[in-house]
This record gives sequence, C-alpha cells and structure tokens, in this order.
Amino acid sequence: MNTPSKRKTAGAWLDDRTGLLTAMRTCSEGSVRGGVGWRHVWPAAILFGFAVQAITGFFLWMFYSPSTQTAWESVYYLQYEVAGGWLLRGIHHYNAQVLVALTGLYFLWIVCTGAYRRPREFVFWTAVLMGLCALGGCLTGDLLPWDQNSYHATKTRVDFLNLLPLVGGTLHKLAAGGPEFGHHSLSRFFALHVGMVGGGFVLLLILYHWFAHRAEATQRPDVPAGPYWPDQMLRNMAAAAALMAVVLLLVFQHAFAGDHAGEAPGAYLGAGLGAPGDLDPANAYNAARPEWSFRGLYGFSNLFPGEMKIVPIFIVPGIVMAFVFAMPFIALRKWGHPVNVIVVGILLLGLVVLSYASWKHDWDDPGYLEDVAQGELEAGRARLLIEIGGVPPNGAATLLTTDRLFRRQCAACHDHAAEGHDMSVRAEETTAPNLYRFASREQVAGFLDPKRVTTADYFGNTAFRTGDMADFVKESLADLDEEELEEVEWIVMALSAEARLPSQREADKNDAKQIKEGRELIDGYGCTGCHKFHDKGSLGMGPDLTGYGSEEWLAGVISDPNRTRFYGKRNDRMPAYHESMTPQQILWMAEWLRRAWPLPADEPAAGQ
Amino acid sequence: MEQPSDSTPDPPARRGFFAKALALGLAAAAYAVPVLSGLAAALNPLRQKGQAGKFYKLALLDTLPEDGTPQKVAVIDQRVNAWTRSIEPIGAVYLMRTRDASEPVRAIQVICPHAGCSVQFKETVEEEGGEKVGEFYCPCHRARFDLEGVRLDATSPSPRDLDTLAIDPDKLPEVWVEFQNFQTGIAAKVPQA
Repeated sequence: MNTPSKRKTAGAWLDDRTGLLTAMRTCSEGSVRGGVGWRHVWPAAILFGFAVQAITGFFLWMFYSPSTQTAWESVYYLQYEVAGGWLLRGIHHYNAQVLVALTGLYFLWIVCTGAYRRPREFVFWTAVLMGLCALGGCLTGDLLPWDQNSYHATKTRVDFLNLLPLVGGTLHKLAAGGPEFGHHSLSRFFALHVGMVGGGFVLLLILYHWFAHRAEATQRPDVPAGPYWPDQMLRNMAAAAALMAVVLLLVFQHAFAGDHAGEAPGAYLGAGLGAPGDLDPANAYNAARPEWSFRGLYGFSNLFPGEMKIVPIFIVPGIVMAFVFAMPFIALRKWGHPVNVIVVGILLLGLVVLSYASWKHDWDDPGYLEDVAQGELEAGRARLLIEIGGVPPNGAATLLTTDRLFRRQCAACHDHAAEGHDMSVRAEETTAPNLYRFASREQVAGFLDPKRVTTADYFGNTAFRTGDMADFVKESLADLDEEELEEVEWIVMALSAEARLPSQREADKNDAKQIKEGRELIDGYGCTGCHKFHDKGSLGMGPDLTGYGSEEWLAGVISDPNRTRFYGKRNDRMPAYHESMTPQQILWMAEWLRRAWPLPADEPAAGQ
Repeated sequence: MEQPSDSTPDPPARRGFFAKALALGLAAAAYAVPVLSGLAAALNPLRQKGQAGKFYKLALLDTLPEDGTPQKVAVIDQRVNAWTRSIEPIGAVYLMRTRDASEPVRAIQVICPHAGCSVQFKETVEEEGGEKVGEFYCPCHRARFDLEGVRLDATSPSPRDLDTLAIDPDKLPEVWVEFQNFQTGIAAKVPQA
C-alpha cells in the first residue's frame, strides 16, 4: 500500500540526494527577481525558439547526409518521401527566421527601454551575441540543402573571406574545406551549424540567465521576487504558443492561395527546395540571393564597386558591431542614451530602405525573374526525373546535367515526347525520330508499322523517309494476316529485349518464349539482309541490331553515329558527341534515355 | 587541528603555487590531446593544393570564327572532390581570333571575378570595319566587359578585369591554353591554390 508517509519518505530521500524538490519549491514561490511580468517573456521566448531548433534539428539530423552527392538528395527525400518531412523541415526553416526576428526585436526593445545600461552590460552583450548566433545559424544552415541558391549564395559569401588581407586565403580554404567547394564544405558547415551555433547558443543561454538573475538582484533589491510557477510560466508559455502559431502560419502560407489538389504536400508546403547545386561552373545559378535577414547588407554591398567590397562586407559591419558593444559605455554620458537610440534607429531605417530597394530592383529586373523561372523549371524537372526512376548513385545533379544536355543539344532535332505528359521535350524543329521510351516495345513497334514509320516520330522528317527501311516496311509489312501480325509482334519483343531495359525486365522474362521465336523471325523476315543481328547479317547497310538500345549501343551511337556499326556515311546530320561530351556524360545520356519514362497517357500501363 | 609532527609542511603560499601550477598544467596537457588532434585534422584543407595552371589543347586555330566571335570551350579534366574523382568539365574558356598576327588568338576565363558566375557573350548589332562588336556580360550582377576582358563601367561590381589566360605560341595553330581558376571577389588576380 502506498501510504502518504511512504511517499513522504521517498520524496525526502530524493530531495536529500538531489535537492530537486527544494529547488522546484523555490522556483514556484519566488524566484523571478524584480517581480513577475511580460518583460521577462523575451528570454523565455528566445529559449523556446532555440529549443524548437534543437528538437527539429535533432530529427533532421537522422535524415541528412552531408556530401555533394547526397545532401540535396537526402533533403529531397525528406521533403517529398518522408511522411511529414516537409513539416519538420518547414518548422526548422521558418522557426530560424522567427528566431532571427525575435532576437532583433529583443535588441530594439532593450535599446528603447535603456535596459542595456549598467548594471546590465553583460546581459545586453549576451543578448546581442545570441542574435549573432541566430544569424550564424542561418548562414551555416543555408548551405546544407545544397540547392542552386544555397550553394551559389554561400559560395559568394565564403569568397568574401578572400577580401581580408593576409588571412583571407587561409580562412577561405578552411571554410570551404579545401581549395574548392565540395563534400567537405558541407560537412564543415554542418559541424559548424550543429556544434558551434547550437553549442554556442546553449552556452549563451546559460550565461544570459546567470547575468540577468544577478542584474535583477542588484538593480531592484526593494522589489519582492515573484513566483515563477504558475504566474511567470503562464506568460512565457503564452509567448511560446504564439511563436509556434506564427511559425506554422509561415509553414502553411501557400496552402491558403491557389489550388493544390493532387499535389504532394512537399511541393508547396514548408521550406522550398530548388534544383540541386552543381559544381560545374557552366551550370551556375545566376539568381542567387541571400536570405531576407541579409538583404539589407546585400543591397548595401551592391552600392560599392568591386574593388571596394571590403568596406560594406567587413569594415562597416565591424564598426556597427563595435558601436553596439560600446553602447553601455556611451550611455554613461549625459546624452549617451538618446544618441544610442537615434543611431540604432537610423541603422534600422537604413536596413529597411536598403532591403526594400534591393527587392524592388530584383522585381523590376526581367533578367533576374527569367533566371528565377529557369531555376524553378529545373527544380520541377529534377522532381519529375526522380519520380520516374529515383536518384542515380552519382547524385541528382548529374541527372539534371544530362537532362539539360538533352534539352539544349539533342532537342535541337529530336523530340522526347508523349501525348499528355508534362515530361515531354519538343524540338524546335523536329528533324529526327522521337526518342521517348527508346527501344521499348511501343517505340520499336512504330518502326515496323507502315502507318507510323514515316511520321514525324520516326523517319518522317529525316533523310530516311524515302529510304530502304521505310520502303521495306511499307511494302512487306502492309496487309499482314493475323498470324503474321503476331509474328511481327514477336520480332518487336525480341528486338526490344536486346535493350534489356530496366523498366521491361518483367515483361522480357514473362515473354521469353515469344522473344526466342522473334529472334529467329528477324532472320526469316529478311531484316538481316541489311542489319547485323548477332551472328546473322553483316554491317554496312543498316545499324547493328545486336544489343539495340542497350547502354553500350546507345553510348556508341551518341559518341559517333558515323561508325560503320551504326549509320556510317548515311548519317547526314547527327553530330559525333564524343567531341563535345565526356565519356561519362555520354553514359549518363544513355542511362537517361533508358529511364522508366511513363507510358503515353492513352495506353494502358502494362503490368501496373 | 593537529599537525602531523613527523612532516614539515610547505609554506602555504608556495604549496598553493605549486598545486595551482600543477593543476593547470595537467588540465592543459590533458585537454590539449583531444583539442590538438581535432585541430590538426580541421586544418587539413590548408595542405591541399588547388588545380595548378596546366596547358590544355582546346581548339584548332582554323576552327575558330575568323570574325573574332568568341567561342566558349569547356575544359575537361579530373575533378577531385575529397574522395570523389571524376572526369568532367572543370571550367570553360572563351577563345577568339584577333587581328594581331603575333597573338592570333585570345583566351579569357568565363568566370566573373566578382562572384564567380559565368559571363555570357552578347553580340551587339553594329559592325566596325568588318569586326564584330560584342561584349561579355555577367547575368548575376550585371558586370560588363569588352572583348579583351576590360570592365566597361567605372563602378563595375567586378573588382578586376576578366582573367586572361596564357596561350602557348609554339603550339599554334593548335590552341593550347594554360587553364587556371582565380580567387573571386578581390582586385588582385591570385590563382586559386
């Protein structure tokens, strides 16, 4: 039986060993020096803001993988695949902004009420350092998603270190984790973000409470202390709940505008995610901008020509910080406090005006808006590509690079399009076959279809429109009876099986018998009269059908279609890409073509 | 309190000094081990060297447009990113013919010395004496440069002119360019090393 006396004994034992109960009793009775009040809510709100970052940060840590091949990819996975991942990330992102705003407002409140003056110098300085710590969290955290903006904006900021005389180059190398940005930039920034900023904030919060407690005691010894529990606690938690409400409003801000039916929540809720960052300077993002809290400084630095950047980036902010830290001493003078308030007011006004002017400048700049739109298009493209085949082991940036190469080079002549698909890429002027689902059964079937072989999707706009192949198909494969139609279908299966498409693995396995028949029929129908197919036929007339559409075959054609094995001298327009693409890029292009592109909308999805 | 009679205690001041010094020394020595081992690893990037200037064959003189229109050519080499090594574009260069017989071709880094974006060639319509007029233009912060890479605005956001790259004159008509990245954001042309 749990008698009261027993419980009392247990409590006494606990208190004797730990002192916890006494401490709690002291708290609830009268530990708020200077009396309970809303002015004590500030540090509690900042503590709450930091706690939210620590809690959400811990869980984000379980998903994040800092390297240039996995950072964006792991954030993408969190944003789109993990249930509620967008919420977790959204809270962490927007709460960081709220924390910056909160420490900024607290700073203004301290200045306006004169609470930075003696004996509260250390309270003030610690509060300022907490604000800088919150900004430091944004600076280091901004890089971690490794999207186009975060990479290029951070790279520009790290390059500013080069402005510093003597130590600039060394600091730059240490920040970037090497001579250039790479895996180690991410792991360093991650360590700084969690260790330095997170750890620093904990230290500052402890120091702050220590200094504040002491200052209250010396400042107002006459005012009786008030109870923390529940009077002060109630006020503090009201502030915490209000902050969380603001954060959630920001996370859900896009839910209130526009129609998002059928969209994944990660696509419009929480923090955005652009296209993956790319180390290749050719793929630089032109519209990189800092977060809102640094907009004023960004606008300010743009007022200076390139040779003078050290002034807005280091000298002026250095002077401002020196002034801020000297404010308690300036206030010792007779006119010190009003001067401090006026200077802070002017600085704040300057920041607001510079920020607004900078935003206005961007909104009015069609070039900037175009670059932003281009970035959004690429982000959407990256998402579509990942949805149909996942992220390749070498990272999403290579996938997007390949996609870009296709759109810029191949799509000069080739369509890559299916009706009713937003994946479609249309050539400006289609003069070559449509490569959508290349070497798949549907695509190969069209080549052997008299009605389709001379359409724009096949040889319609090419030199082969009137060639032997088109003639053969139109003459020999027209008016087939049912049995022959079935045989052509087997030929299609056999030919398509040469590609060993990952998306057709099941079908190829299930139709092994028909494929075997089809391989015999390729010879029987006279294909090997012009094409080589394994040990039948010879090279020189038409492209080799052995391994048709396989990675190796595609890489070969892309490298050099003029080889006898492919189109030889009959190739009239396709460039040999080994001159402009690396072997690696050519392999990526072959992989890209072989991805599991969705079936055209009007065809039933087989086996799904 | 009784003092043990068989020992001669040190004077409190001296004993206090030794004890303090020893305590601090031990603390410093003990803590130095993890701190220094961490710092040594953290400073490792300082031992890494960037890509040194190296000559690449980027084009044949004849394949470049005679009117001096700049051609953007990718430089392909091994990119070392910590443990990852891959052959890929490590940068790009604008190559253009000149009318100067002693230096028939010019090579300019595409990287803007301001914030590291890629400059673009923008053709202007007018032609002077058969030579195409155009400029390099950085889309990020609107820096403009002439075809020799010289800044066109007095208050250019770029701290220096575009970086020209050396061409090996002995190899012409093969265009061998000494490719190198330079630190961005500063007035001096310092190799990224």
